[in-house]
Amino acid sequence: MGKFVLKRLLALIPTILIIVFVVYFIMDLTPSSPGQLILGQMASQEAIEAKNIELGYDQPFLVRYVKYIVQLCQGDLGTSWVTGKSVLESVFARFPVTVTLAFGATLIGIVLGVLLGILAAVKQYSIFDIAGTTFAMILASFPGFWIGMMLVIVFAQELGWLPSFGTGSFAHYILPWFTTACAFIASQLRMTRTSLLESIRMDYVRTARAKGQKEGIVIFRHALRNALMPVVTNAGINFGTLLGGTVTVETVFTLNGVGTLILTSIRSKDVPVVVGAIVILAICYTLVMLVVDLLYGFIDPQIKARYVKK
Amino acid sequence: MSKEKEVQKMEPVKIKKKSRAQETWRRFRKNKLAVFGMVLFAIILLVAIFADVIISYDAAITQVASERLQSPSMSHLFGTDNYGRDLFARVVHGSRNSLLVGFGAVIIGVTLGGLLGAVCGYVGGKFDAIVMRVLDSIMCIPSTMMALAIVAALGTSLMNVLIAMTISSVPRYCRIIRSSVLGVTGQTYIEAAHSCGTPDFQIILKHVLPNAIGPIIVQATMAVGSAIISAAGISFVGMGIQPPAPEWGAMLNEAKAYMTMYPYMVIFPGLAIGFTALSMNLMGDGLRDALDPKLKD
Amino acid sequence: MEEKKPLLEVENLEVVYQTDEATIRAVNGISFSLNERETIGLVGETGAGKTTTALTLMRLLPERTGRVLGGKVLFRGENLLEKSANDMRHVRGAEISIIFQDPMTALNPALTVGDQVLESLQIHNTTGKSKEELNARVDELFNLVGIHAERKKEYPHQFSGGMKQRIVIAIALACAPQLLIADEPTTALDVTIQAQVLKLMENLKKELGTSMIMITHDLGVVAEICDKVAVMYAGEIVEAGTVEDIFNGKVHHPYTVGLFNAIPNLDEKTERLHPIDGLMPDPANLPVGCKFGPRCPHCTEECQQGMPYLYENNGHRILCNLLKKEVNNEELG
Repeated sequence: MGKFVLKRLLALIPTILIIVFVVYFIMDLTPSSPGQLILGQMASQEAIEAKNIELGYDQPFLVRYVKYIVQLCQGDLGTSWVTGKSVLESVFARFPVTVTLAFGATLIGIVLGVLLGILAAVKQYSIFDIAGTTFAMILASFPGFWIGMMLVIVFAQELGWLPSFGTGSFAHYILPWFTTACAFIASQLRMTRTSLLESIRMDYVRTARAKGQKEGIVIFRHALRNALMPVVTNAGINFGTLLGGTVTVETVFTLNGVGTLILTSIRSKDVPVVVGAIVILAICYTLVMLVVDLLYGFIDPQIKARYVKK
Repeated sequence: MSKEKEVQKMEPVKIKKKSRAQETWRRFRKNKLAVFGMVLFAIILLVAIFADVIISYDAAITQVASERLQSPSMSHLFGTDNYGRDLFARVVHGSRNSLLVGFGAVIIGVTLGGLLGAVCGYVGGKFDAIVMRVLDSIMCIPSTMMALAIVAALGTSLMNVLIAMTISSVPRYCRIIRSSVLGVTGQTYIEAAHSCGTPDFQIILKHVLPNAIGPIIVQATMAVGSAIISAAGISFVGMGIQPPAPEWGAMLNEAKAYMTMYPYMVIFPGLAIGFTALSMNLMGDGLRDALDPKLKD
Repeated sequence: MEEKKPLLEVENLEVVYQTDEATIRAVNGISFSLNERETIGLVGETGAGKTTTALTLMRLLPERTGRVLGGKVLFRGENLLEKSANDMRHVRGAEISIIFQDPMTALNPALTVGDQVLESLQIHNTTGKSKEELNARVDELFNLVGIHAERKKEYPHQFSGGMKQRIVIAIALACAPQLLIADEPTTALDVTIQAQVLKLMENLKKELGTSMIMITHDLGVVAEICDKVAVMYAGEIVEAGTVEDIFNGKVHHPYTVGLFNAIPNLDEKTERLHPIDGLMPDPANLPVGCKFGPRCPHCTEECQQGMPYLYENNGHRILCNLLKKEVNNEELG
């Protein structure tokens, strides 16, 4: 098992090399002038150019890329050209909001999505199934940020029950959580339903029924457990993606998450922050997916056996 | 004589193909939701095509100071925005941009991704492993962020949003198409064809493609819906098509400041995005069930 | 002795699968009975309605599509088809057990095999046995089917097909049922393993005194372990009788004759086997009259009109018009 984890962590190295290359390349499509950003509007042309040379911005792309990688290997993500703060600090300053948002939304998505999905699958073709799948279809079709705005109009503006922006309290998060969870509830519901319908038709479920087992236990112990794999994967991917921040939801509720940080940095061409933040996100994403893979081991003994062997 | 023979040879194949498509269509038609999606989509498509007939483009971009922020009425069906532009005209003309970006990004993305995926699946070995490795790494970058970065680098325009969305979605399509091609290649009937000595290209043409194309079409149909949503998201954060050009996401961005006082400004563009995506999703769902009746028992 | 009450009586059972597109008439009015300690073989091609019959007895038909149109299933005099779902649950696994065809998929991949055997015992633990007693019984069952009890902590993927089928048998026998339904228990196994599993089942049957319904398309299996045979074709029992009647009787249904011609005989030298021409009729669109008519070499106009004649001779029943003549001839002669 330890070997398996180690292998996966080592695989992160090429991933990061590729990611940095891609992001660096995109950011380099139009020339950037860090000197200008660091020294501000008032700086003289000579000073800006001097600063650019000091930062190595007169050198070709590949040289700068390699330099960045070397710097990265020393654990240094650089400093923001705009604020002068360390990139790591800037990203982690935004993390609490993003993690809270991602965690809450994932939790809501799993609970509601899985429950409704089970209901839809067990009572296939019933009103629960039709209502559930239609609901999922609608949730998946309307943009989350728009649903968020509608929620604000109804619950903050018309009813006045909840605050519409900011991060002061638990109540502040309720609307953002549900807004972010929308698409996830939909995908989780559909995933659970399809997967469970498939496993309900399996022979071992019939075996369990033939033993005289209660229908509820047949579903939970036999069918659901074997249907969990795609459900867990989906939850993992979703949580990982949400860690990258949902710029649109953050925009609706004026939350200062990682998404907004990257967006403003992209706009101001603050390359170190964009690259650094995306590298951190990719690492987080990979770690989440690693946890998902380890969870498989608990669900499926066959996979567990494979990990142990490795 | 020889011509006659050829015709005779051709016919059974033709009939078989037709009947498969017909069978799919017959099952699709029976699915009420799918038909609803199709009708909905037909309406949206007609609106986009005949936008100029329905209402002039001028109404969508002309700022009339005296008619600012008017609630929906007979003269302005969806009301007017903070610049006095008619929101109905903006929603109608915005459909063109959304459909163009949605379909464009998916069609180009699926074609590029499909080619790459097919080549990887066909060549296999080290090449396949390396390409997949690179694509997997790229997929760790949040795709919205990547699209935003590309738009920022290229400049905000309809074309660039399309390019950005295409590039950021190619890895995903490539993976999907590769696995669906590989899935078919592993089937027993392909082995059977191989064992009969059927040449490779004929196997790909006759067996792999027809069997792999179904899931790809389904995926692509659904992808149009999410591409439209993503494009709206890019505009919503201010990085997409720039006003005064009418675009649903950009309209929502402008409406955000007014949403508490003038909710209609938010409602209509959002409904337009939602219904367009819904129509694609319903059709994709119906198509999947029609192509693979096993799933529905 | 003769007044022994049958353990199971199936009367005029009729089952259909109702889908949006068609009504599939899987079982069309079959009747048979089974005494204690007896084994009946249900023989026929794939699609003859054997498995549907088994699932109906267990009340495990697919909920949405499967429907019992008529008939009775009397188990110790009680009609199982009228039992409440909850009462039926106590019959399933405790009094009637089933072994399904494919051992590869019949076990839950996420649970240890021991737990899966234990589950049966726990469900029907009416006497309040302790955990230790139940576990001891699990060990006993593993020994009974010839698997080391230590292996109960392993998962299904660690076992071979034949071993899995042994575990499935252990599950079925866990609560010492009075009736065991075996739905082609050996079809999915290798030939050598088939023999082992059959031997095991035969021994267990003798030891435990369980009645059994053996579903198979293998006449060899029937000859080996059955007392009675019912030959099924397109949802009907076309011929039924003792093993003696079927294997050595003078008169047969043409389908039975066809079945025997289709298997190699070691005692006779034949150039080639004689398969039955044609295919089983589409169960959504059954022919009028004798269902076997379209494939029967002796089919007459009469056969295509009404239900065929039911010949009955000392428990040997055959559903065929040909035998009407036979009887007449006998009477004349």
